[in-house]
Amino acid sequence: MEADDLLQLLSSRQARRLRVIENLLRGRRTVSTLFWGQRYRLLYLLDLGKALTRGGLDGPAQALVDRQLATWEAEEQPQLRLTPAGVAAQHAAQPFVPQTAVLWPQLDINAARKRLLLGVQVVSEYQHQTKRYYPLATDLATRQLVRRWFYQSDRQQLGTALQATLTRSLARLPERVATVTVAGFTGYQQPGLTNQQLAVRWQTTAWQVYLMHIEAVVTIAQAAQVATDPLSGLLGPLWTVPVTKSAQATLAAVQAGGTLDQIARQRRIKPSTVREHLLEAAIMLPEAAFPYERLLPATTQRTLLALLPAAIDDWTYTDLAPAVQAKIDFFTFRLLAIWQDKRGDSHGKSNG
Amino acid sequence: MESLTASLERVFGYTTFRAGQQAALTALEDQKDTLAVLPTGAGKTLIYQLYGYRHPGCVLVVSPLLALMNDQVDRMRVAGFRQVAAVTSLTSFTERQEILAQLDQYRFLFLSPEMLAQPAVLSRIQQISLSLLVVDEAHCIVQWGPDFRPEYLLLGAIRERLGRPLALLLTATADHTTRIEIAKQMRVTPTVVAEPIDRPNVFLDVETVANETEKRERLLGLVSQLQTPGVVYFSSKQQATDTASWLQEQTGLAVAAYHAGLSSEDRFKIQQQFMQDDLAVICATSAFGMGIDKNDIRFVIHYHLPADLGSYVQEMGRAGRDGQTSVAILLYAPGDERLPQALNETNRPDDVTIRRFYATPQHFSLEEPGIRLLTFYRDHGISEPAVHALFERRERERRAALDRMVAYVREPTCLRQNWLTAFDQTAPDHQAKTCCAPGGQDLDITALGLRRTPAEAVTAPNSDWQTQLAGLLTAAPAVPEG
Repeated sequence: MEADDLLQLLSSRQARRLRVIENLLRGRRTVSTLFWGQRYRLLYLLDLGKALTRGGLDGPAQALVDRQLATWEAEEQPQLRLTPAGVAAQHAAQPFVPQTAVLWPQLDINAARKRLLLGVQVVSEYQHQTKRYYPLATDLATRQLVRRWFYQSDRQQLGTALQATLTRSLARLPERVATVTVAGFTGYQQPGLTNQQLAVRWQTTAWQVYLMHIEAVVTIAQAAQVATDPLSGLLGPLWTVPVTKSAQATLAAVQAGGTLDQIARQRRIKPSTVREHLLEAAIMLPEAAFPYERLLPATTQRTLLALLPAAIDDWTYTDLAPAVQAKIDFFTFRLLAIWQDKRGDSHGKSNG
Repeated sequence: MESLTASLERVFGYTTFRAGQQAALTALEDQKDTLAVLPTGAGKTLIYQLYGYRHPGCVLVVSPLLALMNDQVDRMRVAGFRQVAAVTSLTSFTERQEILAQLDQYRFLFLSPEMLAQPAVLSRIQQISLSLLVVDEAHCIVQWGPDFRPEYLLLGAIRERLGRPLALLLTATADHTTRIEIAKQMRVTPTVVAEPIDRPNVFLDVETVANETEKRERLLGLVSQLQTPGVVYFSSKQQATDTASWLQEQTGLAVAAYHAGLSSEDRFKIQQQFMQDDLAVICATSAFGMGIDKNDIRFVIHYHLPADLGSYVQEMGRAGRDGQTSVAILLYAPGDERLPQALNETNRPDDVTIRRFYATPQHFSLEEPGIRLLTFYRDHGISEPAVHALFERRERERRAALDRMVAYVREPTCLRQNWLTAFDQTAPDHQAKTCCAPGGQDLDITALGLRRTPAEAVTAPNSDWQTQLAGLLTAAPAVPEG
């Protein structure tokens, strides 16, 4: 990720922790990372930079500061805030803004992309009756799945059907996204262009190209949710609930009526783990899918809201009086913040 | 059993062997351990492919480069060998388990030395019948073993634990000392099959420049004039990347970088683009090459000084495999030997670290390659003084190898003779026009017939995405005959 890409993830109205952005990209799903990811409206970054090393954003961040587009804010963790020049640069760059981002955490994007690319290549070579070709280097599981999908499909129709569904999906996207996506495909007499090469051709960055690819993959996978879509067998199963299995089980137990301590005993997990599971579920699921009212009695809400500042980002648990902390635990405090955010707290929309 | 030639024709459709292949196969058929020193492009893989085809059991190939192994597996699949797998540290746990569980189904198995040294893997392999143990790029045993791939040093012992299967050691580059060292490490007394390594169609050139700026200028000049495709080698990923985009801007040629830092998808795409001539020039690190089968590479330029002549020969040997005139150019600025020197030193833990490590090994992180190396030695019962001695010896060897490389650069008369003598071979008489241009002598690209004719402008495909997608997924209608 280059400095110009990081620029797009920052804001002038909200100081953002560099480590949170890094951890989102690297797929480190701690509750704290997820919570701030939600606050920054950056949850779509989850897992998108698996190869990023720890500290991998430090260089780009410092470059932005050196160019006076952002400043460091001293906190317990380094936070970045855009300067007015940074805001101007952000808008001038005319970045690609994904429209399907809210869906990204619900799809195993890396697997979907690998399957789609190999699937397209296999069908392309088959259509041109190439017996011997180099398949895209990928893992065994993907190879086996694509092979099975290919042999279970009606191969006579597959080329036409695949072309039709891809055309329909890509036509819904901006022309540039469709063009970049198809140019990145590998197939008959087309090795495909790398993100870097596409970036040069389109005068953008490799990261932006990558985001366009994902936008396309998600759009194509959306169409594959229909059973008759030729890609349904390949991509359909990759849609998931964006919450770990274990957290889902905890949530189900809460919805069935248990108290948190009962559930901890029942599920043989620590009470703190129960709370982490619930916070994770609250962040990652739509408001309606989580029993906020049950876990946050109206009186608790009123008490807390009366004591806390208006802007959620300014809420600090340790600023509460010890007597309040004794009555209201961190879990309740954080859950209220998540709920306030989901209910459309005016301070929540701080992107840009 | 059918003759080797009959097998060759049946499996590969060729009627004659390339130099060295038959001699190596004949030795193996006689159950003799074999060290085959064959030039790059001689078709070394065919030797074990054909042997594996002719004999029951599994051919186990120990190979150094993770990326290369997957390439090899793909290439074998493309060539029609289906029961092939590779297990490396890049292989996922599930995939590894699956392959190990069904090991007896594979006829060819590629492993990294690190993987083979794992007790669980080794004990699985002990249960299957091996027809042949191949060590590919066997010079790595000597070149890399002591410094950062210590598992290479276990191969001799591992072979014994596997019941001493027939061994085939393959390399493109091994002088007399290296051959002896390989045999010693592998605990074999091999039949040596060596072919002349000279590449008469590759013109050798060393150019001395004053400094980095001049070197860049010269590189640009060369790339602008020379016939493509070509490869420029660098010692650093970053410089390969930066120079690739700079050259593309400056020359208008299609240039891309290739190094181990790219994703496997990108490496695949760049390789295939180069293979089908979508790319004119690749700016690469040493990660590029082993396993690249492109015959018409017209130039190989080295921007940085390689650490030893063997590596240089290996890389420049990718030029002109089709037998057509090609050129290998080494650009040298005074002081260039400092970079390989520094790279050597960073690989190796210093005396203080060694002492402290042996005193309190638990205080060190295995993440660092130097510590990993020390842990390996310590775990294998090698004492602190012995490790000191070993590193010192390696240091001397590396310095000697680098001096050898510098001697090539400074050679005043005939580069070919300098090179071939170092590999115990006799050089043909020097012919200035076709042999070489040592430092200080001008390279005449036109006389070599390697000057690029004004290029037809490369036009990017202009078709819209719909047409491009249709081209991928719809077969072109058959052209009616007559």
